[in-house]
Amino acid sequence: MLATRLLTKRYSSLTAVEDLDLDVGAGELFGFLGPNGAGKTTTIKMLVGLLRPTSGSARVAGIDILVEPEKAKARIGYVPDAATLYDKLSAREFLEFSGDLYHVERVRRDRRIEALLKFFGLQDRANDFLSSYSRGMRQKVSLTAALLHDPQVLFLDEPTVGLDPLSARQMKDILQDFCKEGKTVFLSTHILEIAERMCTRLGIIDHGRLLALGSLQELRHQVGHDGQSLEQIFLDLTGSHEEDVGAMLRGLES
Amino acid sequence: MRRTSGRCCVVSRVSPIARIADALAVGLLLWRAQLTMFLNQTVRSRQAGRLAMTIGGAAVILLAWGWEAVVVVLIVEAAGRFGAHVDTVSLLSLGFLGYSGILIFSSLVFSLNALLLNPDLDLLLVSPRPVESILGGRMVVQVIRLMLLGLLFTGPALVVLAIAGKDPLIPLGFALLYLLYPVYIVVLVSLLSLLLVRIIPAGRGREILAVLGVALALAINLINFLINPALRAGGALPRGRIRPSLPDIPLASAPWLPSGWAGRAAAAILNGSWLSAGAWLALLLAVSAALFVAGAMISGRLYLAGWIQTVRPRRRAARAAPAASRGKRVPLLGAVEAGIIVKDWRMRTRDLAQLVRFAMPMVFLVIIFGLRFPRLAGSVQQLGPGPVAAMLGLIPAWVLLFSLALYLGLTAVSLEGKSIWIYASSPNTMFSLLQAKCWSTALPTAGLIGLVTVAAELVIRPGWLWAIAASLTAVALAAAVCALMVGVGAVFARFDWTDARRMLSPAGLFIGMALFLIISIATALLFGISLALANLSGFPVFTTWLAAMVVAIGGTVAAATLSLLLGNERLRRLELG
Repeated sequence: MLATRLLTKRYSSLTAVEDLDLDVGAGELFGFLGPNGAGKTTTIKMLVGLLRPTSGSARVAGIDILVEPEKAKARIGYVPDAATLYDKLSAREFLEFSGDLYHVERVRRDRRIEALLKFFGLQDRANDFLSSYSRGMRQKVSLTAALLHDPQVLFLDEPTVGLDPLSARQMKDILQDFCKEGKTVFLSTHILEIAERMCTRLGIIDHGRLLALGSLQELRHQVGHDGQSLEQIFLDLTGSHEEDVGAMLRGLES
Repeated sequence: MRRTSGRCCVVSRVSPIARIADALAVGLLLWRAQLTMFLNQTVRSRQAGRLAMTIGGAAVILLAWGWEAVVVVLIVEAAGRFGAHVDTVSLLSLGFLGYSGILIFSSLVFSLNALLLNPDLDLLLVSPRPVESILGGRMVVQVIRLMLLGLLFTGPALVVLAIAGKDPLIPLGFALLYLLYPVYIVVLVSLLSLLLVRIIPAGRGREILAVLGVALALAINLINFLINPALRAGGALPRGRIRPSLPDIPLASAPWLPSGWAGRAAAAILNGSWLSAGAWLALLLAVSAALFVAGAMISGRLYLAGWIQTVRPRRRAARAAPAASRGKRVPLLGAVEAGIIVKDWRMRTRDLAQLVRFAMPMVFLVIIFGLRFPRLAGSVQQLGPGPVAAMLGLIPAWVLLFSLALYLGLTAVSLEGKSIWIYASSPNTMFSLLQAKCWSTALPTAGLIGLVTVAAELVIRPGWLWAIAASLTAVALAAAVCALMVGVGAVFARFDWTDARRMLSPAGLFIGMALFLIISIATALLFGISLALANLSGFPVFTTWLAAMVVAIGGTVAAATLSLLLGNERLRRLELG
């Protein structure tokens, strides 16, 4: 469903993503983990067609995003970390617009909008301008828009930031249901607990390079310590050791 | 609805003197930060485009300075040669009084931004500085900025006067004057803004001020029209009856007004009477310092007393579209294009800032032509029916087209702002976005241009054939110019703006204006050639005119196509990192 080969993105002297090889199958809920600035968002933006890779290729739902971007995008749903929406549109108007952009037939579009607004508890505020929405509500609207055209692959960048516990739970449920239909979710997150509970497979990236790939059990095996938490695996792989923290604190005190 | 709590802060126990000293320190700190940001964005920028713009901007300023210096040299020469006596105190006081008007308006806008809206206010208020220091610091920044602006505009004139008067201290004296004079206005306006936001929402303040400014301009125009019989008379007026003169406002130089003090100080500096200049400057300094201290303390008190109980914009909801119309498609347009047109229309009409900018050209059209139209129309009617009268009837529409096409066209793509990711991640080409933007710009513009042209032609009565032909030409040219501006706007599109005023790129605006000027001149030339050709060849004038207009429209369409192709290339390469 999703495949990258030697995918690379360079900004003059900085290499944001380097030679990324990934394969994510249908029905998978794939978690993409990494510290700040590791290259997670850059990877997602290349996969959804917002950034042009410096080299390498990426196929989404069997379509090369560089060769046939419009065709690939029709099969993609994307929820950015801080979605900038049109503040002067109401949620319903925004979703109608979004449906039109994705060529969703109008009767079906309106039916899905009502269903999704109801599911996320937004129907009472559906005619309010988005400028009056909280961050969590905007995130829900953004997810609704991403689901409206029934995509085959859903990309989410830090999807649970700003969501209250109930909404976060709803999101987890909806993503798992989405995968049960044989579709793919690719999410980046800092919250390891979410990744540990939800994701069928994980990728850990740092300094633009993929450090580990596999199920939680496979990652434990790769690190060489069975029974370790994802947090410990993450810290081991990304080199953020407790000793480093201690040294940093001592440095600050001196 | 009123807010009951605002940004958190505590009452400072620092002494008033220390708070004022701290205000100056904060002001300088803020100023240094702003200067650093300015330098980073201009001379220190590593982006070729920004550097080119910086060099271009510097060249324009140097050109304007050179022009100003030449004009002042000529005036000084003429004054010396003819021994003209000018009452410098009255003249300069009047200048400072006019400057006060500009200061009041600009300071109101600045205060609303600096004291209430700028996002860094939270950052400053959580710092361990007294509130008075923060608010006073903001005023210091504004005063420094105004001083530099004063020097920017009058610098070359001051240098010329210093050379002519052989007194190198003249620019320094004026710099001091520019520093001291705005203080009282900045302080008073800052306090006024703190009170104003109890009545109007801070976020709407700028637009409401703009609306009030336009209403004032309309009112002045109307009064001028009512009391000036020359404007109401039909037909052309002989030139001799219009006598330009400076407005006579004796109040400006009154010794009890700051404009009078500044005028006297400036006149004394120019005459080399430094003792007198020092006395007036000292008076200004004393009053400015006292007002600054009082202003900073009162604004701090106002803040602590809860000025943040500002009026919050009401929660706004959209009217749900009638169920019958929701499923309907717009004829000739695809769902994507129709969706973008409807969305753009909503965004433009629901945002007061954009609505004001959209309405402004029409208001100015009324100001420029509306009240004078009977007289102007009378003059044109004297030419009799024919192409000249018909084409002159297009002038009001052309003025409107200049504003509308430039504003709506150049900002059409940038209107997406940071939300461009929504379109960029959708399965549509950038060219279809440009197509939709052309429609969303051309439809309202061409519609309005058509209405204005038809109205003008009905009044002028150039003959029905000429009226129809001229109206159709205006509509076609309007649509083509809109498409051209959409293309230019796409080439120079900005998506990182947070303030609607920043949608327009200066380079794009410059090129858009230049292209509009070229099209205007070319159309006028073609029209002239068509008349000459008809005279020389004996062809019917309608035939030559029609050929000329087809060439004008065709040329504009060709330019529009090229600009759209260039814009499409720019958008296709867009990376949203």
